[in-house]
Amino acid sequence: MAYQLYRNTTLGNSLQESLDELIQTQQITPQLALQVLLQFDKAINTALANRVRNRVNFRGSLNTYRFCDNVWTFVLNDVEFREVTDLVKVDKVKIVACDGKNSGSNAGE
Amino acid sequence: ISECTLHLQAKLYLSIIDDVIESMRELFLDEGIEDRVLDDLRHLWESKMMQSRAMEDFRKNNNNSSNFVLQLPASYAQPEQEIPGKKRVSFTDAGGANTVATFSLPAGLTYPVQIPAGVTLQTASGQLYKVNVPVVVTQAPTGQQPLPCPGPKAPQPQPVQVRVNTASAHAVAPSILSNPTTVALASQTKTNPVPVQEPPPPPPPQLDLDYSALSDIVQLDGAADNSEDDDVTALEENDFLGIINAEAMKALQEGDRSSDGNGFSSSSDSEAAEDELDPLNSGDDVIEQDIPDLFDTDNVIVCQYDKIHRSKNRWKFHLKDGVMTYGGRDYVFSKAVGEAEW
Repeated sequence: MAYQLYRNTTLGNSLQESLDELIQTQQITPQLALQVLLQFDKAINTALANRVRNRVNFRGSLNTYRFCDNVWTFVLNDVEFREVTDLVKVDKVKIVACDGKNSGSNAGE
Repeated sequence: ISECTLHLQAKLYLSIIDDVIESMRELFLDEGIEDRVLDDLRHLWESKMMQSRAMEDFRKNNNNSSNFVLQLPASYAQPEQEIPGKKRVSFTDAGGANTVATFSLPAGLTYPVQIPAGVTLQTASGQLYKVNVPVVVTQAPTGQQPLPCPGPKAPQPQPVQVRVNTASAHAVAPSILSNPTTVALASQTKTNPVPVQEPPPPPPPQLDLDYSALSDIVQLDGAADNSEDDDVTALEENDFLGIINAEAMKALQEGDRSSDGNGFSSSSDSEAAEDELDPLNSGDDVIEQDIPDLFDTDNVIVCQYDKIHRSKNRWKFHLKDGVMTYGGRDYVFSKAVGEAEW
């Protein structure tokens, strides 16, 4: 099963909101909405793995770190993100990262 | 961030949307659900994405499409309408689909657009808005809240009555409010002073009662005690830390003062005690408040890790396939390498 991690993105959240509206007006069942979200998980995992090809570097200071259930959560301060041409400075950012090694070998997908 | 990158990113998002919608088509049919519902889902999804700044620049590139989607009632399908305020507006059904009309402003007509009172508008999500006062639709620059006044005859900002379907009012209202380019009524509501949240009411009397009961016990060894025992003060804290708040502490002090019958002035003692207690409490409070607020940020990166490495306090991150949201915008990466000191 693909990671549900990406549901908390602009794309994922707007999908969930849209589905909620359709459920409220009873145009779809919650069951079906779940199916859509599962499909979204697959689609975004695939898209990120195959259709994105850029590299970013960053540097900052680590405020907190947490490792639980194989998920890393970091909070960094004063971070600079560098792509080839661009620089983005962020005063505070939270990173949630799932194990990348398992993503290629999901059973029952 | 370069235009090219943003364009690619918007294309990526649209391709994901396409992917999901198309792969659900068969399932929807199997469930006996009309195609229209799936199209509605797509419209809802796309319009929310367009509204968020994540796809802002992509939207800017499509100059010919309007920034919001409205369905006008059939009775409003007048070719032209003279509106007081000098602007002539005509709404044409550019979409062709029955359910949703994406209308574009005719060439040469720019914002602001005035919609007279009495019109019922329906958004893509199906919500009905009845315009009770004349409304001005302006294209406010992103991030700018106050509306420029379009002209002397334009209606002054007033609280606008909006009737919405109660079922989804709560869901739709926030999204309408957050969009700077939707009808002015939303922006006007934004500029109206928001009712200020009342300060939290003082703790109920029974809490004081508990405290006066407790303070009777406490004061024997506590603040009123001559020796100012730190241990006892600490004990008092530990026991009641869960229920102590600032006001309760005051009540405790007052209880000490009022019920102290030892003769020596307790006010200075309780103040001294209060000084001792405050620094001790506030030290704890700071740490407690930090943790929930610390993880509460809008800037989030969701990704996968290849390798996380630490050497003393130097951390190295090898991340992949990530999406970052920062300042309302989205950034995507296939690989990210970083360093940080803890």
